[in-house]
Amino acid sequence: MRARTPLPLWILAGTGAVFVALPLSALLIRAPWGDLGTALTGVGAGTAFRLSIVVSLVATGLSLLLGVPLAWVLARAPIPGRSVLRAIVVLPVVLPPVVGGLGLLQALGRGGVIGRWLYEGLGVQLTFTIWGAIAATTFVSMPLVVLATESGLRSIDRRYERAAAALGASPAYSIRRIVLPMLAPQLAAGAVLAWARALGEFGATITFAGNFAGRTQTLPLAVYEARLTDPGGAILLSLLLVALSLGVLVAMRDRITQAR
Amino acid sequence: MQRFLAFLLVVPMVAACGGESADDTTQLTVFAGSSLTVAFTDRIGPNFEAAHEGATVVFNFGASDSLAAQIQSEGSADVFASASGTWMDAVEEDPGVSDRNDFVQNRLVIITPTDNPAGIASTDDLATSGVQLVLAAEGVPVGDYSREALDNAGILADAEANVVSNEEDNASVVAKITAGEADAGIVYESDISAAAGNDVAAIEIPDDTNVIATYPIAVVTGASNADLAVEFVAYVTGPEGQAALTEYGFEPIT
Repeated sequence: MRARTPLPLWILAGTGAVFVALPLSALLIRAPWGDLGTALTGVGAGTAFRLSIVVSLVATGLSLLLGVPLAWVLARAPIPGRSVLRAIVVLPVVLPPVVGGLGLLQALGRGGVIGRWLYEGLGVQLTFTIWGAIAATTFVSMPLVVLATESGLRSIDRRYERAAAALGASPAYSIRRIVLPMLAPQLAAGAVLAWARALGEFGATITFAGNFAGRTQTLPLAVYEARLTDPGGAILLSLLLVALSLGVLVAMRDRITQAR
Repeated sequence: MQRFLAFLLVVPMVAACGGESADDTTQLTVFAGSSLTVAFTDRIGPNFEAAHEGATVVFNFGASDSLAAQIQSEGSADVFASASGTWMDAVEEDPGVSDRNDFVQNRLVIITPTDNPAGIASTDDLATSGVQLVLAAEGVPVGDYSREALDNAGILADAEANVVSNEEDNASVVAKITAGEADAGIVYESDISAAAGNDVAAIEIPDDTNVIATYPIAVVTGASNADLAVEFVAYVTGPEGQAALTEYGFEPIT
């Protein structure tokens, strides 16, 4: 027989659920639905939407490109200070994004530690460009890929790889045909989480890359700016973000449960 | 579990009790525009408290429009110091004010990194192609004033083509310039006073194109501490308050 859920638990759980759902429902209630067409087809919204999609997808790609090898090293390579390295790599998950943005500014900005050299030597400036937005977004998204991939790698039974090696498979072949297929669910989960996080990124982007329509003004920044001049439009744009993110999270859950 | 629930109930009660013990001093609540934050917390508040035995000044800083809305909905302010006449007018209409005085002016100023990489020397230079200009966003008061000043100078279109970022407030504009990311920005004089301690170079905007904000202060009708509120307004508009505000980059009313 299943244990009964105690009443206090129900009450607290219910309060928690309402607390989260209430602001979202309030957006639905207060949205000026009559302006939906103009708000979502307006030049500003379309530009921000496209930019958000491009920035979040490129950032997810970069997160996978750099994060998966990083996870591999953390999970398998014999390196000293592993736990310190892991803590540093994962830090952006818990850090306020504005802190990340400030750090990026000091590192990669036009006057930054490395950015100064990039700007003066190569004429490359990241701030106020789409690449700045991508850098800020990758900074906050990559740790999610690292976390998911590393835990996946640790849960894989290494006897499969040893068997493959004994049968003459090269390490590269065994990665491609054994490790990656077994890792697929975690890779997918990490990628989707990173994408969802990238889509919602605000603080690091506005601090590092600035706010300019078509270059660095992603949907969250557009919401923040519209709040001043067009509060109703800000609510409608917010709902667009809510819908996108909810879709991502629901899709992700299915992906994981199917994979198991 | 029960112990934990009991703890949850006790915490707010203890917190509620803590609030009442402040009754032996007189508390004055001042709502002030956010550009006044440094001058009021560093100087005006402590000096006023020192001159008035037993008085505690509590500040609530924010955008003047939101402060006006809070005063109208909750009415908890004794004094309102607004960054624009518009929002004082709103409060004067409802719930009403007395002792209304314009107490300082704030002018716009162009700021650049200390090494001034784009060689900005005047407002007109902001229109030079390739200059990276940072402004506060439209809708932010200083952002609207900046565009008005650029329009007065007849270079709005060219300058707007140079804008690389529309920042959320004055402080963010200053931050982008101190970091050396952009070539120029426009903020209030009070944002970059020596007392505010920001490391930027400043270029004046001439009076005929500048947009000068006038700040009114008044006692809010229904103030719980009207006598002290009147004294606070008198202090801010008096010689000592004016001298302190000048130090923070504000200008006396002309």
